[in-house]
Amino acid sequence: MKTLMPYATLAGEVTFKVAAAKLDGRDLPLSMLSQQERVVALHQVERQKWDEARLDLRVRIPEAELAEGPWSDVVCVAVLTEGVSNLRTVTRLNRSADGTWVGSPTLARDACRTRAELSVSVVATVDGVPGRIIGGSEENWLVDVLARKPVRQRELHINEVDFGENQKPYEWLHAFKDAPWLVETSGDMPTVHLNTGFEGITELLGSGGSTMEKAVRGLIAAQIATEAWTAMFHSAVSDIEVAEDGSLEWPSGWRDWVLRAMLPDVLPDLSPADALSEIHSRRVETSGWNELQPRIQYAASRRARVAKNLGTAIRELDRSDEGDQ
Amino acid sequence: MGNERGEGFGIWLARQLRRQDMTQAELAAALGITRAGVSAWITGRAEPREDKKRAIAEILGTDEATVHLRTVDAPAARPIAWYHRPAHADGGREFGNAAAFAFDADLAVLAREATQNSLDERHDDDHPVRVRYVLHELSGEHLRSFLDALAWEDLLPHYEVAAAQKQKVGGVIAEGLRDLRETDTLLLLRIDDFNASGLTGPEYGDGRFAAVVRRQLDSHKTSGHAGGSYGLGKATLWATSRLGLVLINSTLSTPHEGRRERRVIGRLDLPWREVDGQAYAGPAWLGEEDTDPEFKGVSRSWWADERTTERLHLSRVGSDPGTSFLVVGAHDAAGDAGTVQEMHDKIVRSLAENFWAAMTHGEATAPIMEASVTTLRNGQVLIKEERVDPHAHEPARCRALKAYLDGGTVDHLAGPEQVALAHVPLTVPPLRGDKGPGVDHRAVLLVTPADDADTKPNHLVCMRGNRMTVSVRRVPDLPMGTNPFQAVLLAGHATGARTEDADLAEAFLRASEPPEHDDWNRTEELAARYARGALSRIRDFRREMNTVVRHLVARREQKTGGGPAVLRELLRLDGGGTSAGRRIDSHPTVRNVDGELDSSGAWRVRVEVKLPPRDDAWVMMPVAKFDVRSGSKPSVRWAELVAGENCHVENGHLRFDARMSTASFSGVTDVASHPVPAEMARLVIDLQKARSGAA
Repeated sequence: MKTLMPYATLAGEVTFKVAAAKLDGRDLPLSMLSQQERVVALHQVERQKWDEARLDLRVRIPEAELAEGPWSDVVCVAVLTEGVSNLRTVTRLNRSADGTWVGSPTLARDACRTRAELSVSVVATVDGVPGRIIGGSEENWLVDVLARKPVRQRELHINEVDFGENQKPYEWLHAFKDAPWLVETSGDMPTVHLNTGFEGITELLGSGGSTMEKAVRGLIAAQIATEAWTAMFHSAVSDIEVAEDGSLEWPSGWRDWVLRAMLPDVLPDLSPADALSEIHSRRVETSGWNELQPRIQYAASRRARVAKNLGTAIRELDRSDEGDQ
Repeated sequence: MGNERGEGFGIWLARQLRRQDMTQAELAAALGITRAGVSAWITGRAEPREDKKRAIAEILGTDEATVHLRTVDAPAARPIAWYHRPAHADGGREFGNAAAFAFDADLAVLAREATQNSLDERHDDDHPVRVRYVLHELSGEHLRSFLDALAWEDLLPHYEVAAAQKQKVGGVIAEGLRDLRETDTLLLLRIDDFNASGLTGPEYGDGRFAAVVRRQLDSHKTSGHAGGSYGLGKATLWATSRLGLVLINSTLSTPHEGRRERRVIGRLDLPWREVDGQAYAGPAWLGEEDTDPEFKGVSRSWWADERTTERLHLSRVGSDPGTSFLVVGAHDAAGDAGTVQEMHDKIVRSLAENFWAAMTHGEATAPIMEASVTTLRNGQVLIKEERVDPHAHEPARCRALKAYLDGGTVDHLAGPEQVALAHVPLTVPPLRGDKGPGVDHRAVLLVTPADDADTKPNHLVCMRGNRMTVSVRRVPDLPMGTNPFQAVLLAGHATGARTEDADLAEAFLRASEPPEHDDWNRTEELAARYARGALSRIRDFRREMNTVVRHLVARREQKTGGGPAVLRELLRLDGGGTSAGRRIDSHPTVRNVDGELDSSGAWRVRVEVKLPPRDDAWVMMPVAKFDVRSGSKPSVRWAELVAGENCHVENGHLRFDARMSTASFSGVTDVASHPVPAEMARLVIDLQKARSGAA
């Protein structure tokens, strides 16, 4: 997908960084910001509750190009967005003496579910039309209100709990007390519940042990992961929304990412957009959905590296057999 | 200088007699008194009456005031001239100053070495030493006048012989002479310091003067914390001169021969040579032939008048003590600074890089040093005086030091301009033979986020003494994703403390430095002076400083996510297809779009398509949409579709040929289908799978 602009836009780069942050007026330790990964982590054990985060922004825009181009009334704005919560706040920045644009966009805790994306747009009057976007940041920041560590990559929650104990808030797991694990995909982030009450599973999945134990561990992990990816895919597909004009919209958050990661394995000949509509139509029209299951199974097992883990286990078995003889 | 009284009458008169080759008896005879009378004046037992002083002035060929004030010599019977040292009697030949070759003739090195000397020779510790670099390009009459003052005609035969020699020095000199002849320009580099000791001490005996002018390989150390003041570094002055020639004018902090101002001498370093049948050892001095019988035939510094210093481009502003070195025929052999502008910038950069700490000061404290660089051409300002601003060159490090001087540090970093402070313990072991435990010193460690433009972040600068840099190293073993920072360690006197532990730490660390003063490690001095275990104290110190840096910059480790690692690995979201590997697109994609609005308001686009290799043709539908921020993008219809390379238009669809890797088409949008005027929206071009029901 390529975009054409009907008016002159900036060729130069717009870059920015979050130099510091405050939670309800208190300084956030700089270690909660990652300049490399461009992530701000706002969850701190010390402060469970906070109302507002204030981000200290420094933006560089191609000043020389701007001075010579056909643009006037140039303004730089910071944009915070989050798909799940439909958050979109725009904060005007100010030009400082040295040419950088600075400002302090705020993020209300209530307004954001998990992670908001922070970007910068340059707006100007072009050909007499005010308020046109003439440039924007390409490398954006993430503001994660749940993370304790500023990292871009995310992992599923793994919840180790004894299903049998009837513990709050996991009373519902009691019904599954004989299951070794369970995958839940309903929340903001999928969770794998591991039943510590299932004897031996904690030790098996833990570290150390013989090569044979490691091989079995890989096999079990691949098994759990396959189930998790399959469940996530189905959950994501059920979240595809149809717009008023009949076109399809990608789901938001992790579901978007799961679909984009798995669809090329499920429907390899189609572009992501075509694959999305294909999968949606097969599901709602009930024809071809069953035929698709092996492909979904295949895509999930690829992500869970089943082949590699199974291969290791088989080789290990062979070797131990030889040792016995 | 005004009416200040010169030296004692006896000392002054004795020198005047020597200068005029006149004995005490001859003077006595001329005055019509006894020899014993003259002797009494010279030994200081008596001073002549006014009428006798008038007579003495007449005999010496000077005026009465000169005899009265004795701030200058009577007109020299011995003119100021070049004296070339005769060759060694043993016939030994030297083909260049060994010390000058130990250094590259690099302006950055010169600025570092010369300025370190000025810093080590600071006179009044309550005020900064001021260092001024002036590049001055001379040509035409200005050049002629300078060369005349230098007695160039007398030097030329020596240069020509030296230039003809095959050794390295010969080549450099030949190049210098050729440049002077062909371009008719000469570059002077003047290095002034103020509030420094100046070249004090006797002509030949121990002292700063002799250390600089007489003994090229001597390291004359005065202050205890000097990193080698007037040591080998002074040789860089001569190495920077293509002509091996440096002129010196010094204002002394303590008088010599009753004088302080305008002690002038020039020194030329040439290889062994034979001129007009006479063999010369190498060095030559511009000065006055010594009148002391012991040094007959040697040239010595003289107390010049203001007119002479002006003609030699050696005039100093004011009467603050310090020294001016004039490097004649300055060049940068490193080769990266050709023009005067580049040389100017290179000196500024070197001063900032090496002395940012000495130039940084707090709200209430003065810096240790100030520096500036100016460039002139024939007396006119070419690049106006540029005060070296350490904050412009080393923003993060200067910020760290300033925060420390102002007491504005924090324990943990929470802002981009903040500076965190922690202490690094150093146990100074007792001296060899002494009993008892070591003394604990607390070095200061400062950490601050690096500047955006910083290309070498995550380094630790170690300093001691007058904040001289000992080492700059990358901090090892940083955790992945550490935010870029700069760290500064201040040990010993660099902490600003003058306590016993700081004195001991200073001495201990100095003992652990090699001659280059660029490391704290095992040295012979360390092993010889300190009790056993000294080396491990140094090693502990080095390890500890890195640990403290890591602690200050590291993210607080918190257990995240949880769960077994083996499972977490397989359940990572994002991060670019970790397990499945990258896929090549197996469907046609738009590679490039080019287009513009035509006069009717329609988009005219040209599209290049990338095709995955396949044995069947592709049938695709080109889609043009107006881009919107959220929600679905409204499609617009095509008024015209034209096939390009490897492409056919069929019923509103595109058929791309089989086994091709690229295709192209062009199209014009249907203005009637535009939901808004095209100039108000962005256009997106995409390829969709052709649907049987569509079109």
